[in-house]
Amino acid sequence: MRRTLVLSLTLLLLWTLVAEANHLLTGLRVYLFVGALYIAYAALAQPFRSGLAASLVGGLICDANAPGSSFGTHTLLFAAAHAGVFHLRDRLPRDDPTSRVIIALLANLALFLVFSFSQMHRLPAPAAAWPRLFADLVCSQILLALIAPWFFAVQSRALLLARVERETLA
Amino acid sequence: MPFRRLDQSNPFLTLGVVVVGWLLVPIAVKTFTRATFFELTAPMTVAASYARDLKEYWTLRLHSNSELIAAGRDLARLNASYEFSVQQNTELQSEIARLDSLLRLPSFTDYRYEHARVARRDFSGWWQRIVIRKGRNFGLPAGAPVIFSGGVVGRVTEIHALTAVVELISSPEVRLAGVVEGDSRPISFQGGVNPTFGPPGGVVEFVPLDIIASRNNPKRLVTSGLGGVFPPGLTLGLITRLELGADGLFQSGEVKLDERLGSLTEVTVLVPLSPE
Repeated sequence: MRRTLVLSLTLLLLWTLVAEANHLLTGLRVYLFVGALYIAYAALAQPFRSGLAASLVGGLICDANAPGSSFGTHTLLFAAAHAGVFHLRDRLPRDDPTSRVIIALLANLALFLVFSFSQMHRLPAPAAAWPRLFADLVCSQILLALIAPWFFAVQSRALLLARVERETLA
Repeated sequence: MPFRRLDQSNPFLTLGVVVVGWLLVPIAVKTFTRATFFELTAPMTVAASYARDLKEYWTLRLHSNSELIAAGRDLARLNASYEFSVQQNTELQSEIARLDSLLRLPSFTDYRYEHARVARRDFSGWWQRIVIRKGRNFGLPAGAPVIFSGGVVGRVTEIHALTAVVELISSPEVRLAGVVEGDSRPISFQGGVNPTFGPPGGVVEFVPLDIIASRNNPKRLVTSGLGGVFPPGLTLGLITRLELGADGLFQSGEVKLDERLGSLTEVTVLVPLSPE
């Protein structure tokens, strides 16, 4: 329970920072999406149940701040991505920071594309929206590659500070 | 092989349980959960907004006295011209009221103006919304029109305890009736694609064939007043391109919206005085 709570608080911090960045970027019409960061550390380094619970909380935070008609989309997508990454994690070099970032990038690409397709029915000209979405995706991937190591370290450190994990295990 | 619990050995089974559980949860529970999580994040949004205001305040404090004197002088000139406009407006309003009573026309809805700071802007390729720092505590109703100095911003879609969410007119979910300035035939407007580094945009449909607009000769699109949400005559944007529709009876085209929509810091909510 405490593990889930600590991970959820770090996800709330992530949401706040990304929302603030998006607020500042509205003049440029650029939007940053880092959905994979809500699931990557929990799926790669945490037990399944508490990690999944944290991912679901992260999804609900994102859903609460998206239009009501799509409520649940982030939550279910994050749950699916979490299950997928968790299923593969024993076959991945998950202790290597670079590998973790690459896994997060791939997961973010998949989440972005699936989420975009799920929202296409809302747009008046879906084909015309892809250049914008592609630009957003490129910016999001660059940001994710830059902040992922820091955010994984924050999550790891938060678990240590809350005495959920010991130094050797983190 | 070490023993592993079922949920750990088969995560997709757990995922299936989560998905089925989500589908079975009643709408009321989902709505409550959504509102709860929004209120959970609202303090972060509002705190960040106040921090930005504080930063702006200290930035303004750095201005010299001579700059402030010059700004005050410019403001006094602007106020003088506005006072003259207010006098003219009062005269015109009484003239309209007199004609309305003579012709027994139904009167337009009266509004209370509620100014609100923008706490967060959220413009993705999927939606464009802002969160304002006033909500149920100021009696804002859902569906209320929101405007700024450049025209229409959008309409309030969600009301929370201390905040409200406004869907922008550039958002694909917003549809409303507009008219070309000087014309009375209604046109369908919908928010549209908002290109990176470009101005926000929308699309128009059912434009009569005799209306001509181009990039060099744009036509101003204003609210029609139909539907009762927005008062008539508020600027929506400029029609910059029109082409013949597939049916050959109407035209469709693009609307360029005000670029300031991307940097809004304060908006005005029009609260109807006699809500139906």
